Amino acid sequence: MATGIRGNERGAGWLFIAPAAIVLGLFMALPILMALWVSLTSWNGQGSPFTSDVPFAGLDNYTKLFAEDGLARQDFMTSVRNNGYYVLFVVPIQTVLALGLALVVNNRMLKNKGFFRTAFYFPSVTSSVAISVVFLFMFANTGAINAVLGVFGIDGPQWFADPRGVLHLLLGWTGLVDVNAPPAALADHGVLGLTWWDWISGPSVAMCAIITLVVWTTSGTFMLMFLAALQNLPVQLDEAGLIDGANRWQRFRHITLPQLRPTLFLVLTLGLIATWQVFDQIYVMSQGNPAKTTLTPAFLSYRTAFRDFDYGSGAAISFVLFVLIVVLTLFQRWVMRERR
Amino acid sequence: MTTRALASRFAGYAILIFFSLVFLYPFVIQISNSFKTEADASANPLSPVPHPFTTDAFDRIFGSTAFPTWLGNSVLVTIIVTLGRVLFGSMAGYALARLRFPGRPVLFALVLGMMAVPPVVLLIPKFLVLNQLGMYNSYPALIVPLLADATGIFIMKQFFESVPVSVEEAARIDGAGVFRMFWSVVLPTAKPALITLTILSFQGSWNEFPHTLVSVQDPGLFTLPRGLADLVSGSLGAGTQYPLKLGAALLATIPVAIIFVTFQRYFVRDANEGAERG
Amino acid sequence: MTTRLLLAAVTAGTLVAASACGSGFDDNSKTQQSSGPASIQIMIASSGDAETKSVQDAAAAWAKSSGNTATVTPAQDIVQQLGQALAGNTPPDVFYVDAARFADYASVGALEPYAQDMGGAFLPALNQSFTDGGKLYCVPKDVSTLALEINTDLWKKAGLTDADYPTTWDQLTAVAQKLKMPGVTPLAIGDTRDRIGAFLVQAGGWWVSKDGKQPTADTPQNEQALAYVQSLLKNGLAKYPKALDAGWAGEAFGKGKAAMTIEGNWIKGALTSDFPNLKYVVKELPAGPAGKGTLSFTQCWGIAAKSQHKQQAVSFVQAATTAEQQAAFTKAFGVMPSRTDAQSAYQQQYPEDAPFVAGAQYAQGPVNAPKMDSVLADLDAQLQGLQTGNPKAILQRFDKNAKTALGG
Repeated sequence: MATGIRGNERGAGWLFIAPAAIVLGLFMALPILMALWVSLTSWNGQGSPFTSDVPFAGLDNYTKLFAEDGLARQDFMTSVRNNGYYVLFVVPIQTVLALGLALVVNNRMLKNKGFFRTAFYFPSVTSSVAISVVFLFMFANTGAINAVLGVFGIDGPQWFADPRGVLHLLLGWTGLVDVNAPPAALADHGVLGLTWWDWISGPSVAMCAIITLVVWTTSGTFMLMFLAALQNLPVQLDEAGLIDGANRWQRFRHITLPQLRPTLFLVLTLGLIATWQVFDQIYVMSQGNPAKTTLTPAFLSYRTAFRDFDYGSGAAISFVLFVLIVVLTLFQRWVMRERR
Repeated sequence: MTTRALASRFAGYAILIFFSLVFLYPFVIQISNSFKTEADASANPLSPVPHPFTTDAFDRIFGSTAFPTWLGNSVLVTIIVTLGRVLFGSMAGYALARLRFPGRPVLFALVLGMMAVPPVVLLIPKFLVLNQLGMYNSYPALIVPLLADATGIFIMKQFFESVPVSVEEAARIDGAGVFRMFWSVVLPTAKPALITLTILSFQGSWNEFPHTLVSVQDPGLFTLPRGLADLVSGSLGAGTQYPLKLGAALLATIPVAIIFVTFQRYFVRDANEGAERG
Repeated sequence: MTTRLLLAAVTAGTLVAASACGSGFDDNSKTQQSSGPASIQIMIASSGDAETKSVQDAAAAWAKSSGNTATVTPAQDIVQQLGQALAGNTPPDVFYVDAARFADYASVGALEPYAQDMGGAFLPALNQSFTDGGKLYCVPKDVSTLALEINTDLWKKAGLTDADYPTTWDQLTAVAQKLKMPGVTPLAIGDTRDRIGAFLVQAGGWWVSKDGKQPTADTPQNEQALAYVQSLLKNGLAKYPKALDAGWAGEAFGKGKAAMTIEGNWIKGALTSDFPNLKYVVKELPAGPAGKGTLSFTQCWGIAAKSQHKQQAVSFVQAATTAEQQAAFTKAFGVMPSRTDAQSAYQQQYPEDAPFVAGAQYAQGPVNAPKMDSVLADLDAQLQGLQTGNPKAILQRFDKNAKTALGG
């Protein structure tokens, strides 16, 4: 009887997993292999990429991104810079905001927590495209954001038409540097196709609008994670601290925060992984404009393939991004495993 | 109650109310501006009251855009994808959790690996496969690749592992076959996980955008997010027409909002469990 | 029962995969042709509702008289959508091909050279834009040139008269200063090479050499042109459409946010349909240091080499390029006819279009070489940042990139 069930299970196991395996194999594993092949060719989008007519390019598409001085590298490095600043701003802001909101919502003396939790979380579940439309309107030149700024007497910028980098603006504002004639040491030298001056631009004003949107949509999700962790903390420790006469900040800093470390790490790494993938918002709101300051690797790879018919190069950019994200994910899983 | 505690409570509420406004007022703006005239919307974007009130935008959405087609496609895709994900996800999750068969550890490792694959790097690859299979620009292209997702399988596997085996043992002694046991014994006990998976799948497929970008081309096959993106970047001619765009975005948000409000506790399951304990 | 259900599901999944495999991997070199009634797809890059509607009407009329059906799709981004459709082997049967992109499509074999015997009826200069290797691939749809549109109400409000219409850069600057009023920007100008390039021509320069083989951007003439546009932007005398909350310059002009704009013939149709009460005049673009200069744009009716209904597609193109149909398009969205025999009737009927027609005499066509798209896109990105950018650096960057692309 035992063998009967085992035999039965063997067949059933495969049968149970077959539909999912076929779909995932056909539309995840196979595509990756095909794209790897295409990234080694210079297929122009006509006919099949898997015939002998398609010129084999070897690693050319990759070296163009890193080693050859040209438009391909310039665009790729610009997109890396933009996305880098985007990550640098989004991840810390959303993490701090999420933690702060979670701490307030978790306050035992407050009622109606459910409502606030829902309010903060709701933006996360809506469609990225629909929300981008709303933010396009809010950040229009005569939009809500500039109307609010106007109340405080600030003449708001032309958000999606403004390619100036905020760090450049800041440097110009402090008077250290003339933005229109940047110091030659920075403007005349550079690395990887961009000058130092370009590298230190900071996110453009247009990118700041997108950063705001993303922080606004994702903070709710991470707040829930912090909230769950906070509610699982033993109360006794905090009370012990209270008896010892520690003030609120000390209790947070020395009692709560250390216990939240696994969650904090999770939130930070999830944020890092997600922010390197920004695409929908770019596609809907800016298409990489103005002046390529909202170009990101994900959007660049799409554009290179489907607009410039350079599928090999587009696939190569995808793979570089793929490797980056997989490395981040593996790192996250490795650290999380240590903790368990 | 001490003044200190009162002050702290007051500060707490002030922060919460401020941030609720920050998180919810954009939706108020969205709703009110979709009932405004274009001139009013650009002159008073902040005002929650349309002046004059007009449903012009919605007349145009239904009259002169392909909105009804997008809606129909979205409904079709969402229903099939949700059913597929729930069925295939729970089957695969069950197999990985309970059934012993050769290759299981490898398959589970693959599922874990696939969860790490970032969707945006699959844009070109998916296009290549759909193209190569001759499916590009068709309903199957829009639906089939979404029918299973690694995360769903993982959720279901974790769930089945948390349920005691005793029920199944009893059924097994009864002599029930694996399939009947799965269908009539296992699945009914998995209701909470199934609901969670249904909601996640619904939300995911309703909002799905990048996939539609590389799987179809024909406007007759556009889903709501794709149609909306098209509206925004210029198929309207080149005018801004914010009330119309906001209205269309609003209509696309409503189904998810309803599901969210109804099934909130499944969205925020983890947090709720924590709350009950605390 | 459940077993059967599951088996059915699995089998269905496998079948989908298997049947799909069969159809895709062989690359049909000869496309199956259908005769008899067909359903053809037409993809257009529309300048606005007016154009979309009139092409739809033309398609419907053809469909009715020929017994076929035709669907017109206005593309949001025709380059991208067409690229995907061509790679996906599902191209629309008929589509607009811009002169600037023609070389790309022809060089990869995407276009059916159906027009070899049809060239005689069209202006030779336009045919030239769609000829490759001695073959005329597709017939020109129409032609447009850029001119200066002026809002006459705002003009009067600024105290200007008919005698003040600018004919030189200095005059343009002078009237712009007078037109600068609260809520009114003097000039709305599109932020691409397709508008700003006109100033280069007026200064006596251009992006590439006459034969299109060498980049020639980094010259004093071009630098002077960009510096002039930059001065307009810096002084608030000109703004890009996005800075005016408009999708394109014509919208800002129509809404009265800009007193002048530089657009082509298509602006007529758009203004008539969206802003019927606007009063404006059209003037030739002011001359620069090297004299008058403007840009011309033309597109052709391309037919996909992979179309299954070429015969019907050609029949549609013929119907869409009759003298009467071209006159109807002219009426609807203002473009100038591409047929030789339609020119005199056009000039008589639309005397107010004289500036556009005059522009056609000295207009510069687009940069027309394959593999230039990403270089030109990069140029546009630089031009978006012109206000705070460095003109010389922009020109040098173009030369560097174009040199690689042109293989020089």
